[in-house]
Formats: sequence, structure tokens, C-alpha cells
Amino acid sequence: MTPERKKLGYWDLLKSWVLWSFYSQACYNYERMQASGFAHSMIPIIKKLYTTKEDISAALKRHLVFFNTEPNVGAMIHGITAAMEEERANDQPITDEAINSVKTGLMGPLAGIGDTLSQGTVTPILLALGIGLAKDGNLFGPVIYILLEAAVIWGIGYFMFFRGYKLGRTAVERLLEGGLVKDLITGAGIVGATVIGALTASFVGLSTPITITVGQQVVKLQADFFDKIMPQLLPLALTLGVWWLLNRRKSPIAIMGYLVLVGLVGSLLKVF
Amino acid sequence: MQITVFQAALIALFYYLAQSPWLMGMGYWTLYRPLIAGVVVGIILGNPTQGAIIGASINLIYLGFISAGGSLPGDPALAGYVGTALAIGSGIDVNAALALAVPIGLLGGLIWFGRMTLDAIFVHWADRYAEQGNTAGVAFANIVPPQILLFVICFVPAFLAVLYGPPAVKGAIDFLGAKVFHILIVIGGMLPALGIAMNFRSIGKGQTLPFFFLGFLLFVYLKLSIIGIAAFAVVFAFVYMHLHKGGMKSDA
Repeated sequence: MTPERKKLGYWDLLKSWVLWSFYSQACYNYERMQASGFAHSMIPIIKKLYTTKEDISAALKRHLVFFNTEPNVGAMIHGITAAMEEERANDQPITDEAINSVKTGLMGPLAGIGDTLSQGTVTPILLALGIGLAKDGNLFGPVIYILLEAAVIWGIGYFMFFRGYKLGRTAVERLLEGGLVKDLITGAGIVGATVIGALTASFVGLSTPITITVGQQVVKLQADFFDKIMPQLLPLALTLGVWWLLNRRKSPIAIMGYLVLVGLVGSLLKVF
Repeated sequence: MQITVFQAALIALFYYLAQSPWLMGMGYWTLYRPLIAGVVVGIILGNPTQGAIIGASINLIYLGFISAGGSLPGDPALAGYVGTALAIGSGIDVNAALALAVPIGLLGGLIWFGRMTLDAIFVHWADRYAEQGNTAGVAFANIVPPQILLFVICFVPAFLAVLYGPPAVKGAIDFLGAKVFHILIVIGGMLPALGIAMNFRSIGKGQTLPFFFLGFLLFVYLKLSIIGIAAFAVVFAFVYMHLHKGGMKSDA
């Protein structure tokens, strides 16, 4: 007898989207950005699909990793992830790596599209409309702005989330049929790692104002030395250093403590 | 006019709401904008029309405002709420309010840095709840402690700035400015290394390390956008898998 297929319903998905819309950035932070927001939004999905404590715990941990995207266009990732979780819960061979790679590979590009679309295009245009009216003291300006902005932003988020779920299911099903799961994992892993490398350069910031005087010559350590070897060398070294510590089984909390301490002492001593 | 304690508290509360999640994410898109902030402050102080006009002027500075990747070039909301309140309350004209709005926006940047740095603590709480398989705990850690923190660091400075006026704002900026700002920027710059390394560790089983470097190099040397780099990565992934399979299957 085959076990009954676990299936997500419309309300599970809607709940997930609403939770994400509310709390994506409730705990926004530099270390893992929207990680807890993502995990939070997956709770209705996780509760529907998994029953044992172990499975629920593993799923929560799976979604507590570094995540950052534009919340509305990026909601497509949540739809796809929900579809992948559904397959996984039905004993398809979808690993943590596969899910994480898909999320990581998509979050940057969708953030780029989303920021350009929502923050860069829609919002300024609607604001210009509202400001134009408000400048003459017309209070309909702000009201119109709020109504249009909410309709567009929520509209984008809803559409992308459900589109992602539909797309994710079909895409995942096709891959499973062709036995292409390994390819998916390898491919998504490559895309994910590449994006992560780029994020290291764009997100992590570290530089030094130290200057060394050699005789008559003043050498700026950052501009004349580090930048000459490679731009963003210090952020790269820092990230690889943290990665090395993690591989040495140091706890993330301890590492966070080190980082805060190094940053504090370093900036007081004018090293950074 | 004299701004009462109650009015100042109300304005500070709206400044918090602008950054809070309570409006289903819509705070950032509406209350956060100086245009709306101006109207809200105007209503609280009994002059919505003037509030709208001042808010609209302040908003012009921030029309091209984009927060990408969690970094904020100043804080339009604080500029909007405190700027409008000072303009109406102290009777300074719109241009003077604009001149004040920019440094106030910078002060708001400090609030942002503080929040983004301290919220990292609560993700570790969420980790602990996740370990126990406690879904309600994860939801709690995501909302309650960070929102209490956010409320405090938003409400207090906005309240004091509105109540005590321009001298208070200038004093606060001079007092906190350079040093605290710098320390927070340094720490805020370093912390993503942890999140990124943790994520990479969950993807990278050694063989993807070259691609990590590839992404990094494409960004620093070719200055490609993240979208562009991801597009290249897709091509590399296809080529990589094709070559990989080519050795085993001739029809690939």
C-alpha cells in the first residue's frame, strides 16, 4: 500500500505568503538578514507536511540560513521552496543542499529585479504623483499614493509567490522524472556558490585606515597595498576565516562574539 | 506652537510603526515615506495640509531612495516625522526644515545600524527553538524580542527630538556622531561574513569552492551586477555538468 500523498492546500500557501509579507523583516539583521523571517513564513508549510519533532526541527533549521531578497518579487522563492518541501515530504530525494542552493541562487537575481521594479520604478512614480498633489495642499495625494502602492506591492508579492509554487512543482516534477536530481543539486550548488562569492564582495565590508610612513613616503595600507593586490581582499579573508572556523566546529554564537569584539577593539584602536 | 508630550509620543509611535511589520509589510512602503509622515504629523498637530506640504518637500530629497541589501543611505522616515514636527512646532520654515531633515536622516541611519546589528542575537534564539522543533518559538524569536528592541530604539530618540526640538537634535548628532557611528559601521560590515560563511558551508562540499571565488572575482574585477553574475553562473553550471557527463555518456 502506498502512503497517501501529502499535499499543500491554498490556505497553507496563503498563510505562508501572509506571514512572509508581515514578518519578512521583523528581525532584519546583518548576520543572516531575513533568515528568521523565511523560517517563520515556512511554518504553515512545515506543520502541514511534517509530523515528527525531528522532521520539524530539521526543516526549521534548513530555513534559518542566510537569506536576503526583495520581499515581493522574491516571494517567488517561497513558492518554489514550498513546492520543493512538498516533494521532499513525499519521500522524493530532495536534499537540504538542493533546497538551499535554489534559494541562494535565486535570491540575488530576484532582489535585483525586485529592487529595480518596486523601489526603483513603481514607488518613485507613485510618490511623484502623490507629492505633486500634496505640494498644493491636496490631501488626496497621500491617500492615492497609499492605495496604489499597497495594491501594486501586495499584488506583485501574491502573484510571484503562487507563480513560484506552480513553477516549482512542475519544474521539480520534471526533474524527478528524468532522474536529474543530482544535476539539479550540482547545478544549483554551482550557481549558489557563485552568488555567495559575489555577495561576499558586495555585503561584507572591512577596510583599514592605517598609514605607514617610510622615510618621506606615506603608504596607505588599504589603497596602496590591499587594493593593489585585490579589491575587497579583507572581506574575502574575513569570510574565508569565518568559514574555516565553522569547519573547525566553532559555534556561530562564539564567532559572532569574536566579530563584535574584533570590530569594537579594532575601531577603537583605529585599525579599521 | 508648543508640542505636548502626548503629541510627541504619538509621532514617535508612528515613526516606530513605519519600520515595524504590523501593517503586513506596508509600513515601509507608506508610513516610511516623508510624504505620508508629513500628513500623519500634520494630523497629530492639527494642521494636515501644512504637514502634507512639508512632508512632500522632504520627500523630494528621498525620491530616489533605495534600500538594497539592507544598507540604508540615511533614514527618510525619521527625517519625515521629526523634520515635519520641528517645522510645524518650532515654526521654522520649510527650507530650514529641509536643512535639518538631512542630518536627522543620518541620525536615523544610526538607529538602523543598531537594529541590524543587535537583531543578530535573536536569530540565535530562533536557532535554539528550531533545534527543539518548536515552531511557535521560532515565530516568537522572529517577532517579539526584535520588535521590543526596535520600539525602544525608534521611539525614544524620535520622542526626545520632537519634544526638545532642534537643539536636541543637533546635540545628539554631535554627541553620538563620529565614534559610535564608526564602530557600528565596522561591526555591521563584518557580521555578514558569518551569515555568508554559514550558508556557503551548507552548500559547499569542496567542489563548489572555485565557483565561490569566481563569483567574488566577477564582482570585484568585472563589476558585474548580482543578476549578471547569476546568469554567468547558470551558464557555467551547464557547461560544468555537460563536461562532467560527457565522459560517461556519449549522447549527452
